[in-house]
Amino acid sequence: MSPTDTAPAGDARPTGRRRAGGPPAAPRSDDRSGLRSAGRKPTTTILVTAILVIVAMYFLVPVYWVVINATKSTEDLFGTSGFWFGESFQLFENLRAVLTANNGIFPRWALNSVIYSGIGSVVATYFAVAAGYALAKYRFPGRRVVYAFVLGGVLVPGTAVALPLFFLFSSIGLTNTYWAVLIPQLVSPFGLFLSSIYASAAVPDELLEAGRIDGLGEMGLFHRLALPQLVPAIVTVVLFQFVAIWNNYFLPLVMLADEKLYPITLGLDNWRAQTDRLPEFYQLTVGGALLSVIPLAILILVLQRFWRGGLTEGSIKG
Amino acid sequence: MSRFTRRSALAGSGAALAAGLAACGPPSPGSVNADPTIPADDGPVTLTYWAWLKDLQKVADVYNASQDRIRVETTWIPGGNSGGYAKILSAVAAGGGPDIAQVELRQVPEFALAGALVDLTRYGFAERESLFDPGAVAQVKVGDSYWAVPQDTGPVATFYNREVLEGELGLEAPATWEDFHEVAGIVSEAGKSLISLDPSDGSHPIAWVMQSGAQWFRPEGDGWIVDMTGDASMRVAEFWDGIFAEGIIGTGYGSYTTPWYAAAADGNVLASISGSWSDALNETVPGGEGKWAVAPMPTWPDGYASGAHGGSSAAVLSTSQHPAEALEFLTWMCTDPVGVDAMIEYSGIGWSPAADYIGEVREQPSDFFSGQNYNEEVIVPMAQGQNLDWTWAPLMQRIQAMIGDGMTTAVNGEIPLADMFAETQTEIVSIMQDMGLNAEEAR
Amino acid sequence: MRSKSAPWILLAPFLLLFTTTMVVPIVMAIGYSFTKVERSGLLGESGMQNVFAGLDNYIAALTNVNFVESIGRMIIFGLVQVTVMIVAATALALLLETASAKWPAFFRATYFLPYGIPGVIATILWSFLYIPGLSPIVDVLSLVGIDIDFLAPEMVLWSIANIVTWTYTGYNMLIIIAQLKAIPGELYEAARLDGAGSWRVARSIQLPLIRPALMLTIIFSIIGTLQLFAEPRLLQTMSSGITSEYTPNMSAYAYAFQYNDIGMAAAQAVIIAISAFLLSAVALGINSWMEKRR
Repeated sequence: MSPTDTAPAGDARPTGRRRAGGPPAAPRSDDRSGLRSAGRKPTTTILVTAILVIVAMYFLVPVYWVVINATKSTEDLFGTSGFWFGESFQLFENLRAVLTANNGIFPRWALNSVIYSGIGSVVATYFAVAAGYALAKYRFPGRRVVYAFVLGGVLVPGTAVALPLFFLFSSIGLTNTYWAVLIPQLVSPFGLFLSSIYASAAVPDELLEAGRIDGLGEMGLFHRLALPQLVPAIVTVVLFQFVAIWNNYFLPLVMLADEKLYPITLGLDNWRAQTDRLPEFYQLTVGGALLSVIPLAILILVLQRFWRGGLTEGSIKG
Repeated sequence: MSRFTRRSALAGSGAALAAGLAACGPPSPGSVNADPTIPADDGPVTLTYWAWLKDLQKVADVYNASQDRIRVETTWIPGGNSGGYAKILSAVAAGGGPDIAQVELRQVPEFALAGALVDLTRYGFAERESLFDPGAVAQVKVGDSYWAVPQDTGPVATFYNREVLEGELGLEAPATWEDFHEVAGIVSEAGKSLISLDPSDGSHPIAWVMQSGAQWFRPEGDGWIVDMTGDASMRVAEFWDGIFAEGIIGTGYGSYTTPWYAAAADGNVLASISGSWSDALNETVPGGEGKWAVAPMPTWPDGYASGAHGGSSAAVLSTSQHPAEALEFLTWMCTDPVGVDAMIEYSGIGWSPAADYIGEVREQPSDFFSGQNYNEEVIVPMAQGQNLDWTWAPLMQRIQAMIGDGMTTAVNGEIPLADMFAETQTEIVSIMQDMGLNAEEAR
Repeated sequence: MRSKSAPWILLAPFLLLFTTTMVVPIVMAIGYSFTKVERSGLLGESGMQNVFAGLDNYIAALTNVNFVESIGRMIIFGLVQVTVMIVAATALALLLETASAKWPAFFRATYFLPYGIPGVIATILWSFLYIPGLSPIVDVLSLVGIDIDFLAPEMVLWSIANIVTWTYTGYNMLIIIAQLKAIPGELYEAARLDGAGSWRVARSIQLPLIRPALMLTIIFSIIGTLQLFAEPRLLQTMSSGITSEYTPNMSAYAYAFQYNDIGMAAAQAVIIAISAFLLSAVALGINSWMEKRR
């Protein structure tokens, strides 16, 4: 895990096209400056920026709406313009109602989402990276079959599997438990592909040979030599899987009956479903939506640069 | 060595595959209605109850306090079609459902077909039948079996904005369908809508034909006769085809949806012809207090006074270990005046399922509805004028969806309801046969 | 010897889970799809059994107008939505990568933001902007004389498309930007020496080189389109245009848990999976055909 391991391997990467993954930020800015000097006219800048601002407004409108309207009473929600504050300002009353409704079910949903996504993404990534590394760095009979098999898995829509999976799980009594949602999301065929492509380039055979000569076991090679090289791929797969689990709706919908096991998506949907009959749930839904958007928004803004780093690797296989 | 393991692994997975295909039938429900009945327990019993009624636990608490043998614990689930049914059915399929679940009346046979319900006839429901409103109990009966306990019903009535309809436009709530046609036309000319229907909501046409005297699904022996093209159905179809062709009612959204409330508050939609449970929803029309009133459902010269629209049952699920206790509790909840009053007060149920008891608060005049004592004056006769011959089919979700789709195409002027009814009848019979049931079209 | 078992040990956890959560369910679904139930009595109370149905379920599914329409709807949806989204994502990526863009980091983050918002919550947010009486957008548009009902039957499909586009455009844009950044600086340099403007650079250098990334996003978008479920399901209670069989997935779900016809649900799930395969193969085929033509 020492930084000295990383540096030479980074240099040993076969080509420059994987640059986006790691430290070499300098040549990137060179690309840009090359282009920058090409077309810098004030009118173009204004025009382009204007377009970008308008597009940004489109992406921010729903978020803006929820921030404004989480401060309103139900009456103002319907009675005043959605683009500006109402007569009442009861953001904190609304948020307190969200957090305390039904004996604090909302924090519980949030916690569940964190559990599903946190555990699911880390474990799924570990399994996918181990398998991807094995496919990339070992030549063994059956390798192609496994590849083809898993490629099929990428292409099968998850929802097509969820229904039969429900019957399978219900026959062994797993439905309506944390496991029912967790287990299926421990598999990331996409993560396997990404990490195997990455590993074949980023983990040089010489490094593994040197490790063998030093007396490391095969598992030791993976854990102590390969994993540190694979960090960019690992980060990408974790993030990808985290968001995928966080956003999942169909699987928990099919698997879970007990409200206490719901992730936040299912829980909020539950509240929204009640607005039909009980208008007071509008405020809970709006407040709950606000609370679930804010932390994710911050997370996305912070982690956005990691995405930029990793996904190139996935696209190279195309 | 490695070759051997590979081959055996292949053989192993091949065997697993074959076993998978051989056992390829989906899980089927248990045979609970053929097993011996489960006798009442001697000791204390805890019943679990899933429903989307609000504050149902408060009703259960009244019961829990009244005796110490049976304890009822409730869990809120989303409304049936918003996910509640899927949840109940999947829990039963997984073998871990509650003892009791809320099931809409029209859905009861479908749940029975799924093997999810206990046949209450085997637990002595017939002796209790007289405690219930006949209009309610008729809806949980298929052939000679009772499949659930009715928990509330929705006799159809007209809820209307009296201030605008009578005061502003000088009209009256339509007493007959002929009046309805005329009134809707005048209201439409005034730039408003008498009612607004969601054409994809198939529950309305079903309530209309039921009132008209149709009997779409008739159990006969071991099979079903499907009859959607009799005179009682056809006059309804032709009537509404006319209304849609003239375009004199709103068809953008249904009653008590968000846009409906907005339009009702502005006095642009004037009425809803829907189940008696509409009263509570209607009372949330902003600024509607004192302006609205209730009138009977418009009628045909013959036929019944009203139809059934919505309403639920409390069904005992096949995974329950305590059906006898469940029935005991449900009989209390749905027929004892204390239970009925508690359901009205806390859960705001629709029309009382009890015989001769509508609930104490419903014997009072209503401030919202212009001081009218509408429950006794209007809803009671609607509840008493139900079509008791009607039986729900075990595929109402699909039928209602088909009727809803059909009404959508009828509103768009593509296929009239009259043709759609005939086509749907053929289709339903073939679906029922596909479901492994014995069914034929009426001749 | 050690290194012969090593890859399998590393693969084992993945393969085990992959088999139990994907292969076995798919095999089960295929099995179910060839069965149907026979009942005796009015409601099957006097007995029922599973019998082999041959291709009956498939024939019934493919002749079921609602199901076929739902597939057709998804194809139209996919053609329009995926195209709009990919074009928008590419355009935004190119704009952000030009010299003229100010504050590119801010805009990039803003456009990517919706990806972190689950489809369910995105739909809840947008539904508030669709519902007449609640939506300020509808209010503003009607002030300038445009009466629009985002939830009207013929409109709602595009309202759903908007939600999906809103959620994923930024994500696809990032993939494309990453690919753009991988273009060697020498190419730009050469183009500049040739006197090529930004438009020429985009057309003759950037677009051809981001083709692989575009292909990837298109295939994932196609699979995503076939899975469409949460958005229409949530909007169902608000729009009369959405039936419970509006998308192939909603249909399979309805058959499994509402109509309790598991054989049919399984057949539909299998058809959805096969369609995903076929559409992805078609997309790849078109790609390699275009490759050859160049």
